[in-house]
Amino acid sequence: MSLLDRLRGRADLHSLAAPYALDALEGNERARFEKHLAGCERCAADVRALSEDAVRLAWSTAAPAPAALRDRVLTAVRTTPQEPARARENRLPPHVWGTQPPPARSRAPRPRPLFVPFATATAAAALVVAALFAVQANRSEQQLAAERDRAREIAHVLAAPDARAATGRDAEGRTIGVIASASEGRAVVTLNGYDDLPGDRVHQLWLMRPQAQPLSLGLLDDDTPFVANGLDRAATSLAVTVEPDGGSAQPTTQPVVQLALESVGFGE
Amino acid sequence: MEADRLLIRVAGGDHMAFEELYALVSGPVFGLVKRVVRDPAQSEEVAQEVLLELWRSAARFDPGRGSALSWILTLAHRRAVDRVRSARAAGEREQREALRAGTPAFDHVAEEVEAGLEREWVRRCLDRLTALQRESVTLAYYDGYTYREVAERLSLPLGTVKTRMRDGLTRLRECLGGVA
Repeated sequence: MSLLDRLRGRADLHSLAAPYALDALEGNERARFEKHLAGCERCAADVRALSEDAVRLAWSTAAPAPAALRDRVLTAVRTTPQEPARARENRLPPHVWGTQPPPARSRAPRPRPLFVPFATATAAAALVVAALFAVQANRSEQQLAAERDRAREIAHVLAAPDARAATGRDAEGRTIGVIASASEGRAVVTLNGYDDLPGDRVHQLWLMRPQAQPLSLGLLDDDTPFVANGLDRAATSLAVTVEPDGGSAQPTTQPVVQLALESVGFGE
Repeated sequence: MEADRLLIRVAGGDHMAFEELYALVSGPVFGLVKRVVRDPAQSEEVAQEVLLELWRSAARFDPGRGSALSWILTLAHRRAVDRVRSARAAGEREQREALRAGTPAFDHVAEEVEAGLEREWVRRCLDRLTALQRESVTLAYYDGYTYREVAERLSLPLGTVKTRMRDGLTRLRECLGGVA
């Protein structure tokens, strides 16, 4: 590449400052421009000024946020860990931060809501919803659609008049959280801290019933709230075992954690 | 600025400060997201994501490099634009069909935001731009189009759109400058 080409390329890149400030670059171009910004103090200052201008356009758009949003956010915040203060060695201007994948989703270990005993299902609901939204970045539309479906299912369980929450904790402090509705026969189950399985092992969720074999409810992903259907009222507890990839017909190991369902309205 | 002070306390894990910050910025964040995303349910999702991100990542705010409010709204805008683009990419086929059927793909229904002084002020300043400056800036900022899409919609060369965007923003700065 000749010097002239390089200069031309640079001028070209620089002309992207205004579109960048307006968030009007496509993904690839945005990434390329940010790379350029990191090494160009003058461009960074230019972009900073233009971004301040762009933000003025937001002044006219304020609208009262729904009251329910406040409840959800404030509840979720109570149990959402914060990212530690980071060294500011990277020289990207602050608004560029917003363009990088949110820290929680990639670089830092994903902060998970810490399950604690809940007073109400509402508090638990906010957590589940928060966990759900936290993992949405960089998903395909199909995955997003699947997540939206699950979100709807979850919302359905949470909306049941008899929805109740319970938490089980094992000796190492890892937890299983459940929000269940006995009338619906459904439950939302979340594992926390069990993400250290080798690749060929999975967590399988079982429904324990009196005088019956454990019933497989499905395989659990540590990050994702799981919706279990068809829980019968006689059920006594949920159990999680470690099974070979693909799951087993019946448990082949001792449960790593178990949670009694009596407190959430089962076990009649 | 109030938001700056609060955001710094939030970075230290102060829940009370977060509640105050929420009261201060939830309206601007939600309103901006809704202006771009339009769909109320999706807007709420994106706004929630942004507000939680403020809590998680408050430590990243560097007061030496701009105001907290700008930082927050820049983040909200970016998330909103990303959402509306992925929704558009997914709905492209439906849009083409809608266009063929003669119905507008995106309706520019006026938002029922209360007319405040700021809104009037921004509108007044937008009116002072040339039509192309205004269109270039608002299609990108309020509707989430890329500058390539803007060029296509306005049948302008890419270079012209980039220039109009810059000139538009600069003129807005001159007009809005005093009000902060």
